[in-house]
Amino acid sequence: MAQIELNGIYKSFGDTRVLDGVDLHVSEGEFVTLVGPSGCGKSTLLRILAGLEAASNGQVIIGGRDATSVRPADRNLAMVFQSYALYPHLTVAQNMMTPLKMRDLSRFQRLPLIGPLASRAQYRDLTEQVRKAARVLKIEPLLDRKPGQLSGGQRQRAALGRALVRNPVAFLMDEPLSNLDAALRVHMRAELAELHRRLGTTFVYVTHDQAEALTMSDRMAVMLGGKILQIGPPSEIYQNPQSVEVARFVGSPPINILPGEVSPTGTLEVLGETLGTTEARQSVVQVGLRPEHISIGTHGPIVKIVNRENLGSDIYLHGKLAEEDLRVVFRVSPGTQAQINTHVHLNFDASKALVFDGDGHRCRFFATALEGVA
Amino acid sequence: MNNRAIHLWFIGPAIVLMVIILVLPILLAGVLSFTSYSLGNMGADWVGFENYEKIFTRSTYEKMFGATFRYVFVVVPLTVALGLGAALLINSLTRFGDLYKTIYFLPVMAALIAMAIVWEFALHPTIGLVNSTLERGCGTWLEAWSWYAQGCEKTFPLWLTDRDYAIWTVAFIGVWQGFGFNMVLYLAGLTSIPRELYHAAEMDGAKSGWDRFRLVTWPMLGPTTVFVVTISFIRSFQVFDTVEAFYPQGGGPSKSVYVMMFAIYEKAIQQNLMGIGAAITVVFLGFVMCLTLIQRWLVERRTHYS
Repeated sequence: MAQIELNGIYKSFGDTRVLDGVDLHVSEGEFVTLVGPSGCGKSTLLRILAGLEAASNGQVIIGGRDATSVRPADRNLAMVFQSYALYPHLTVAQNMMTPLKMRDLSRFQRLPLIGPLASRAQYRDLTEQVRKAARVLKIEPLLDRKPGQLSGGQRQRAALGRALVRNPVAFLMDEPLSNLDAALRVHMRAELAELHRRLGTTFVYVTHDQAEALTMSDRMAVMLGGKILQIGPPSEIYQNPQSVEVARFVGSPPINILPGEVSPTGTLEVLGETLGTTEARQSVVQVGLRPEHISIGTHGPIVKIVNRENLGSDIYLHGKLAEEDLRVVFRVSPGTQAQINTHVHLNFDASKALVFDGDGHRCRFFATALEGVA
Repeated sequence: MNNRAIHLWFIGPAIVLMVIILVLPILLAGVLSFTSYSLGNMGADWVGFENYEKIFTRSTYEKMFGATFRYVFVVVPLTVALGLGAALLINSLTRFGDLYKTIYFLPVMAALIAMAIVWEFALHPTIGLVNSTLERGCGTWLEAWSWYAQGCEKTFPLWLTDRDYAIWTVAFIGVWQGFGFNMVLYLAGLTSIPRELYHAAEMDGAKSGWDRFRLVTWPMLGPTTVFVVTISFIRSFQVFDTVEAFYPQGGGPSKSVYVMMFAIYEKAIQQNLMGIGAAITVVFLGFVMCLTLIQRWLVERRTHYS
């Protein structure tokens, strides 16, 4: 267990700048997720942390010691790869034993045949450690199988087991769930979060799936274009995004971004509805409203319902505004009878509106209590 | 057309071709090996196992087996090891890799019969490059080596015409000519190893190159190795052109380079003894088959095919 610090990390591949001055501090035992669309540099950042890639500039500090030029094998980190990267010719038990053998045994002790004979006690010890890790992950029956004979989920666990078996200072995970089917992914999400609580070790987790980030992490860092746009607890990121990109990326279905007009006095109007006052200096702003903050009202802008997504617990309606080519997604309760091709009025929950200026930065906004209810 | 027989039309042509050009000639050779047939004769006598008896009792054939096995068991391990070594070295290069690939592959592409002439010059006892180079070392510290001192005192070996050296010289040329081919096969094998496995090995603490080789490279090259060893065995059993180029008259000094292919050629083609030639062919086929099966069985047990 250790604190991890990344200070001013820059990375370029040729002329392409992949990381543009990233700072990240992970405290001991924390579960931090790096999330962003593909190509945002999150995997590169993790690989720099692991040492598999060298940063063009910047500093990596692990457990208070500068590890920038320490080779990966000496950083004592464990990594779970997207492809799992299990050794296909070794059984699960041998796969899990590899990191133990490499670290704890001398070259002589690792010799085939002679090694295990000469140092039986140590081998028994290692086998016991493997068994213990296997018990934690419930993969004991799989220990004698080879990766080729395992399903995706089982391979994922075996890869996790190989990381878990020695006590690393931190676990690095590079999209470990992306090769699993949807149901298994949801299941493993819960299991990983539980595992983290049980082990109390630092986790740095990379994903492009905002749902994974929201459900598992203590803090999540939203990355875009080689920068961390915002870092904070999932609820903070969801409710209080500091830029329109973050607001757009987090949440499913995505947030509605509607055009807003600001009068010289600072009154904000969206689609003819007055929502409140803002400190934005520009006359045209972007207003974000999450699907759950829009409902069917008695007056207000009229939309034609063009699609209806029934998720069982909720229904998401896609409305098309008559005059503008804008779509609005909003959530209604399952009993709602709104049908496709009918028209409904929209009611905005003004207190939840997020106002962004033309550059996408968040602006302060005060909802008018009266209008908000209407 | 009868629908029930239609499948025969699909597989028929392939089967007929296979039987005519692959199976039949081998069976024919098998039958001929029990006769005293000569090309041009109207008939032949059935001699039973007489041909085989000759092969396994006469000293000429004993020499044939000796030469063949010496050649095979020198050339196969060396070409495989050198091929792998060269592939690993080239694979680790960031520049000039293609240049080295081309250079090492040149002997494979070149016609061995032409190369043999060059080697014959180089190894010539008096005007050859090899011995004249060795002579320059006389009188230096190299003479501390007794073999070298002896060479200076009398003459350096007659590489191609001394019966103690001939087969090893031919084997050396076989290695020189063959390892580039294995190198190319290994290079192809190396490119198919996922990079992530090396990263995983590094994270697992495999620090030295040897650790990585043992943990990732060698096991992942298993299927390539099976193929490389098999093809090397077959190729070196089939060695003929070097022997024919160096010793067109009868298999080298005291028949020390009398390899099987050359024996078949000499008996069946030059001396028109089809029966005995066919018998050697059958024995040859048996050897190649056995060795291939044994090594496949040995290697395949430990080989992972993904």
